[in-house]
Amino acid sequence: MSFEPRIVGFLCNWCSYTGADLAGTARMKYAPNVMTVRVMCTGRVDPGFVLDSFRAGADGVLVCGCHFGDCHYVEGNHKCMRRIAITKRILKGMGIQPERLRLEWVSASEGARFQEVVNSFTEEIRGLGPIRLKEWAFVPEQVEAAAAAHGE
Amino acid sequence: MSTNKLNSPAELVALKERLEKNRNANKTVVTVCAGTGCMACGCDAVLKTFREECANDRLENEVEIKATGCHGFCERGPLVVVHPLGVFYQRVKPADAKLIWEQTVKGGHLVNKLLYRDPQSNQIVKNEKDIPFYKKQMRIIFGKNGFMDPTAINDYILLGGYQALAMALTKMTPEQIIDEVKKSGLRGRGGGGFPTGKKWATCRAVKVEPKYTICNADEGDPGAFMDRSLLEGNPHQVIEGMLIGAYAIGSHEGFVYVRNEYPLAVKNLTIAIKAARDCGFLGENILGTGFSFDIEISRGGGAFVCGESTALMASLEGKVGEPRAKYIHTVESGLWDKPSNLNNVETWANVPPIIERGAEWFASIGTDNSKGTKVFALTGKVNNTGLVEVPMGITLREILYDIGGGVPRGKKFKAVQTGGPSGGTLIVETAEPKIHASMVAYGDLRDEDEAISLLDLPVDFDELTRAGSMMGSGGMIVMDEDSCMVDIARYFIHFLTEESCGKCVPCREGLVVMLNILQKISEGKGTIEDIEYLEELSQVIIDTSLCQLGGSAPNPVRSTIRYFRQEFLAHVIDKRCPAGVCKDLVSHAIDNTCNGCHACLKSCPTNAIVGEPKRLHYIIQDKCIQCGACYQICRYNSIKRIKHGEGDKLQERARELWQPPLKKVTAEVA
Amino acid sequence: MDKAKITIDGQQIEVDDGSYVLEAAKSLGIEIPTLCYYPYMVPYAACRICCVEAHGAGGWSKIVTACNYPVWDGLEIFTDTPRVINARRTNLEMLMANCAPVPVLQRLAEQLGITEPRWKTGSNYTCILCGLCVRICDEVVGAHALAFINRGAKRDVSTPFQLDSESCILCGACAKHCPTGYIKMEEIENRYIVHQEMNLSPNAAITLPFRQAVPNVPQIVRENCIHFKTGGCMVCAKVCPKDCIEYGDRPNFEEVEVGAVVIATGFDSFDPTPMKQYGYGKYPNVISSEEFEVMNNAAGPTGGKIVMENGAEPRAIAILHCIGSRDHDYHKYCSRVCCMYSLKFSHLVKEKTSAEVYQLYIDMRSFGKGYEEFYSRILDEGVNVIRGKAAEVVPSGYRQHEEGHLIVRCEDTLIGKYREIPVDMVILSTALEARRDAKEFGRKFNISTGADGWFIEAHPKLAPVSTTTEGIFLAGACQGAKDIPDAVAQGGAAAAQAMKLMAQGEVMMDAAYAVIDEAFCSGCKMCNDMCPYTAISFDDAKKVSVVNSALCKGCGTCVAACPAGAIMARHFTDEQIYAQIEGILA
Repeated sequence: MSFEPRIVGFLCNWCSYTGADLAGTARMKYAPNVMTVRVMCTGRVDPGFVLDSFRAGADGVLVCGCHFGDCHYVEGNHKCMRRIAITKRILKGMGIQPERLRLEWVSASEGARFQEVVNSFTEEIRGLGPIRLKEWAFVPEQVEAAAAAHGE
Repeated sequence: MSTNKLNSPAELVALKERLEKNRNANKTVVTVCAGTGCMACGCDAVLKTFREECANDRLENEVEIKATGCHGFCERGPLVVVHPLGVFYQRVKPADAKLIWEQTVKGGHLVNKLLYRDPQSNQIVKNEKDIPFYKKQMRIIFGKNGFMDPTAINDYILLGGYQALAMALTKMTPEQIIDEVKKSGLRGRGGGGFPTGKKWATCRAVKVEPKYTICNADEGDPGAFMDRSLLEGNPHQVIEGMLIGAYAIGSHEGFVYVRNEYPLAVKNLTIAIKAARDCGFLGENILGTGFSFDIEISRGGGAFVCGESTALMASLEGKVGEPRAKYIHTVESGLWDKPSNLNNVETWANVPPIIERGAEWFASIGTDNSKGTKVFALTGKVNNTGLVEVPMGITLREILYDIGGGVPRGKKFKAVQTGGPSGGTLIVETAEPKIHASMVAYGDLRDEDEAISLLDLPVDFDELTRAGSMMGSGGMIVMDEDSCMVDIARYFIHFLTEESCGKCVPCREGLVVMLNILQKISEGKGTIEDIEYLEELSQVIIDTSLCQLGGSAPNPVRSTIRYFRQEFLAHVIDKRCPAGVCKDLVSHAIDNTCNGCHACLKSCPTNAIVGEPKRLHYIIQDKCIQCGACYQICRYNSIKRIKHGEGDKLQERARELWQPPLKKVTAEVA
Repeated sequence: MDKAKITIDGQQIEVDDGSYVLEAAKSLGIEIPTLCYYPYMVPYAACRICCVEAHGAGGWSKIVTACNYPVWDGLEIFTDTPRVINARRTNLEMLMANCAPVPVLQRLAEQLGITEPRWKTGSNYTCILCGLCVRICDEVVGAHALAFINRGAKRDVSTPFQLDSESCILCGACAKHCPTGYIKMEEIENRYIVHQEMNLSPNAAITLPFRQAVPNVPQIVRENCIHFKTGGCMVCAKVCPKDCIEYGDRPNFEEVEVGAVVIATGFDSFDPTPMKQYGYGKYPNVISSEEFEVMNNAAGPTGGKIVMENGAEPRAIAILHCIGSRDHDYHKYCSRVCCMYSLKFSHLVKEKTSAEVYQLYIDMRSFGKGYEEFYSRILDEGVNVIRGKAAEVVPSGYRQHEEGHLIVRCEDTLIGKYREIPVDMVILSTALEARRDAKEFGRKFNISTGADGWFIEAHPKLAPVSTTTEGIFLAGACQGAKDIPDAVAQGGAAAAQAMKLMAQGEVMMDAAYAVIDEAFCSGCKMCNDMCPYTAISFDDAKKVSVVNSALCKGCGTCVAACPAGAIMARHFTDEQIYAQIEGILA
C-alpha cells in the first residue's frame, strides 16, 4: 500500500471553508488526505497549531484563507501570511521541511481551486514521504547534521 | 519743433510772441498744397523741384518751402502760392515749378500762363482771394489750411492756435462754455444737425464716470472729403475743439475714429497728437490747469455704417460695426455703456473759433436756425470741383454758378444731390418737359410736378430737409442733362445695399427689393405699380429702420420720384430713357449733321461704326453695346441717344449709303 | 424701482420703469408678433416685426419696436393701427421676398393675411438673419463662436473665417433656437438615432439620471452644461418658476443607519463591440437588444417605430442569439432570458412591420410557464428559426443595388447547409453580465463574487438570498442572470429576510468573541494594534487590555498574537483546536 499522507488543513470560515463546501456540493473529487479544522480567520492560526499538528503526527499542514482584500476581518490574512513565514523558519530549524507547510488563498467561489490545491499539496507531501518526528531522539548533533543536509 | 512742455497759458502766449518775433514778415514763403487732391495731381514732384532749386541756389535761409493742407480748389491742383506777394498759381507741373522759382521767387515777376483765368470774363487773377471760387466763400474752418504746415504745431500756434483752449481752461467754467456753444447755435455737422450745446449739456448732466469724447472721422459718403482734408490740413484745430468739448462735459478720454483709407490723415493726426502732448496740450495737467485729457486714434475698416454713432461705438469697442436702437441716447450710455459725446470732425473744428471770437460773432453768420458755415464737397458735372466753405443760407445758385463756375461743355444743370447716398436729389433745371403726358391722362398731377426750380433754395439744415434732401455731411454732387434719375436712384440704392450693415430687415431686405424694382424699371420692364411700390417701400423703410442709415436710405428714390416723376414714367410707359443712360432703353444713332470726322469710329470698342472720312457715318445697331463712347467724343453733337430700337429710323440716309458695304461685311462674317 | 403708467390699446398698466413695451403688452395679453426676440437676451430689434405706434404728450407719434422700446410714464402705445399693420406686413413681405418659404414666415404671413409676397428676388436662402444663434452663442452661452459675416444683402451667419471654430463647445444652442433650420448640428444629428436615446440626448445638460429614476427629478450634468463650460447661460434658472436650480449643488454622501441591506444592483448588458464578426458599431443597422428595446419604446426616439438608421422600415431582420453567452471566449453561462426576449422581438416586429424575421439560435430554451406556448405561437406567425449560431455579419457589397444591406452568414445545422441571409437589420441578443464594479462593490459588504462576477449567495439551496455577511441580502440579476419573474420572486424573498431581521428588533450576537484573562495579561498592548475593529482597549487602571465584546467579531487574530496566551477566542479556544488536531490525527 502506498503512503497516504495525513494533512491538517486550517480553513478560514468565510472563504476557504465555504470554498471547500462548494467543492463538496459541486461533487468535486479531491484527495481525502486533508482533514480540516475550521477557524474564523487565518489570523487565528497560531504557529503553535502548526507545530502541534506536526507533533501530533501530521505529514503536512495546509492553511487556506481569503485572497488579499477579501478578508472578512479586513486584514487577518496579512497577519497570517507573516506568521506562516516565521513558522516556516522555525520548522526548518526543527528539521522539518518547510514545504510541509503551505499557505494558499482560496475564495468562497473557488471550489475548483480548492480541489486543485488539496490534490497538488497531497502529491507534494506524498513525494516528501512520511514525517518521522516521533522516532527521533533529540540529539543536537543530529539536528545540526540535518540542518547541514538542508544546505544551511 | 518745440518739445518744451508749456505749463501755463502765459507760457503759450510767450511762445507765440517769441515765434512772431522770430518770423520775418518779408521772408518769401512758397506754399505748395499737399492735400489729397493736389497729391494725386503730382504736388510731390512740384515740392521736390522747389526744394532742389532752393538748395541749388543756397537760399534755404531766405526762402521757406512749405507743404500745406488743402486749399479746396482741387479742380486746379496742384496749387502753389508765393507769399508775401500772395500770387496764386494753379495746375503747376514740376517744370513750371522751375519757372516760378526763377521768375517769381527770384525775379519777382508773374508767370501769366499759370495764373487763374476767369472763364467768364477771361481776366487773369493774381491773388487767391480774388478768384471767384474763393470770393463767395467764408473760410472759418479751412482758413488756416493754406498758411500752415499741418505737421508743425508752431505754425498753428503762430496763427493763434490753442488760444481758445487757454481761454476756456482759465477764464471759463464748463457751464459757460456749454452756454457759449448753445448761444452760438452750432449744430452737428455730421448730418443730423442736432444742437451741439444741447448735446454737451445732456452729457455733462449724466453723473456717470468716465465720459468719452469721440470724434467721428469715418467719412464714407462718395465724393465727400472735407473731414479728410481738415484732418490732413489742420488736425490741431480738431484736437483743440475736442479738448474744449471734453473740458465742458467733464471727460478725460477721447477717441478719433478715422478711416484706415485716410493714411495721410492718420499720419498727420498722429504727429499732431504727439506734438500736442509734447507741448502739454494733451495728457495730465494741461497748461498747468489740472485738467487732463488724452486722445487715442482708432482706425476703422471702412464700413459706411460705422459713421453712424452707435455703430461707430460698437466698432470702437472692437465689435462688429452695427447700430443699436438709440431709444437711450449715447450721451447717457454709449461707448462701453458710458456717457459718450460724439461729434463730427467739422463740428469739433468749429468750436475753437466760437470760443475765440464769441457766440455772437458765430451766430451772426447763417440763417435763423442754422448758424456758421458749412463745408461742401462740390463734385460731379461742375467746372470748379473742390471743397467750398460757405455761410449757411447761401443759395444753390451761388454755389453752383458763382463758386462752381457752371456746368462744363455748356450742358444744362439738371439736379443736385446733397447729403451723401442717403440724401436726396433736388431738381434744379431740366431739359425735359416737366409733366409727363401720362400724368395728365391719369389725373395724377401733384404740386411737385410743377417742378419749381430749387436753384434759389437757401442751403441750410431745415430748408434742405423740407425739400426732401438733407444736409448730411456735405457732399454735393452736381448732375447735368446727361444724368438719368432712375439710374442715379439705382446707383445710390445699390451703394446702400452694399453698405447696409444688414442687421434689420427693412434696410437689408427692403433695399434689395427696391434695387430689383429700379433695375426692372431701368431695363424697361417696369410698370406703374412699381413706382407705387417704391413709394410704399420707402415709407415703411423710413418708418421702421433701426438706424438713420436705413431711415434715410430711401431718400434718393423718394426725392427723384418727387422731382422727376416724369422721368420714371418715361421709363415705365414710353420705355424710353430721356437722358439716354439706361442701356436697355436707348439706341445710339448718327444724324445727318455728321461731317465724317472719324473720331467716333476710332472710339467704338465693338467696331459698330462704319463710314469713310468726310462722309456720313453709320452705327450698326446690332453691334452697338450703348457704351456711349462715341457720344462723349463727338464734338458736333451728331450722335443722338434715342428710344431703343429706333436707331435706324434716324440713320435712314446713312443706312442706304452703307448698305452695299454692309452686306459685304455681313457676308464676310458669315 | 420706479413705476411707469402706460396705455396699450386703451388698457392702462403700471410697469417697472426701464422695462420694455413688449413685456408690458404680454402681461396685458396683447399679442405682438416677433421673430428675433428671445426673453433672456438683450433685445436686438432686427426683424422689425414687433413694431408698434408710440404716441407722446406733444401729439407726436412714431413707429417703434416693442421689444426694445423702454416704457416711460404717460406713454401711449397702439399695436393695431393701419400704419402698424402695414409696416409689419411690408417688412414681412420684404423678408419673404429674399427668403425661401420657411414655415416660420409662412405662419406669420398667414397671421398677417399675406398670401404671397408682392416681390420676389429669387433668393432661396433659408436664414432670416434674426441673429438668435449669434446672440445665444454670445450672450447666453458665452462661447462667442458664431458671428455675422459680410454686410448688407450678403450678410450671413458663420463661424469666423468660415472655419471650424475652436471656441464652439458644441452645445447646439444655436441650432436649437434657429427658427428656420438653417443651422444644423451635422455630426450629432448623424449619430445613430438609438444611440442618441441611450444617453437621452447627445449632450443634454439637464436629464434624469436614468429612465424611471427614483426620485424622478432632473439633474444637471456638469460635463454637458454650458454654464460649467463658459460661466454663461443660466437660462434654466431664469425659466424655473420655483427657483429650484442650484448650480453649487454637488453629489454628496448621506449616512443612513439601517438594520439590513438588500443588494439589487442588477446586471450590465454585454458589449458586443469586441465580437468583430458581427460588425456592431461598424454597421449602423447592427444594434444590440437593449437598443432595439429603446426603439420600441413608444416614448422613445422613434416613437416606437422600428426603423433603420435612414428612417426607412426594414424589410428583413435577423435576431442573433447567444451573443456573449454560451461562448468560451466570453461567458460560458446561459443568460437565460435571451431566447424569450428574442422571441418577443420577433413578435413585435411582426406586429409593427411586414419584415421577415430570422432567429438564429443554438438551443431554444423556452423553459418557463407558458414559454413554450409562446414559442409555438411565434412559429405560427411565420418567423424563420434557424438552428445555428451566426458566423458573421457582412455588408452585401457585391450586390450593388442592395448597398448598405447586410448579409448574415451561418450554418443551418438542421439541414446541414451553409446559409447567407440578406437582411436590413441585425439585432444582437446580448448576454447579461455582472456589473463591471461588482467585485469592488461586494468588498464593501464583505460578500464575494463568483468567477462570472455574480454575487455569491450563502447557500444555493438553503440560503438563496442571504450572503455570508449577516444582514446583507441579494435580489435580482446581481446574483445571477434571471428573468423578471425570478427577479421579482427573489426580491420578495430578500425583503422578507430583511423584514425578519428588523421585526426582531434585536440581533443575536454570535457568541464567538475574544475574552482576555486579566490574570494572564501582561499589558504588552500587542493585541491593541492587532484588532481591525479597535475592539481592544487598554485599561490604564488595571494595566491590562480589555475586549469590547460588542465590537469583537471573533476573528481570533489577537488570540494568535498574544504572547502570554491570555486571550481566549470563544468557540475557538486553543484547547478546542488542539483537541481537534489531536482528534483528526489520532
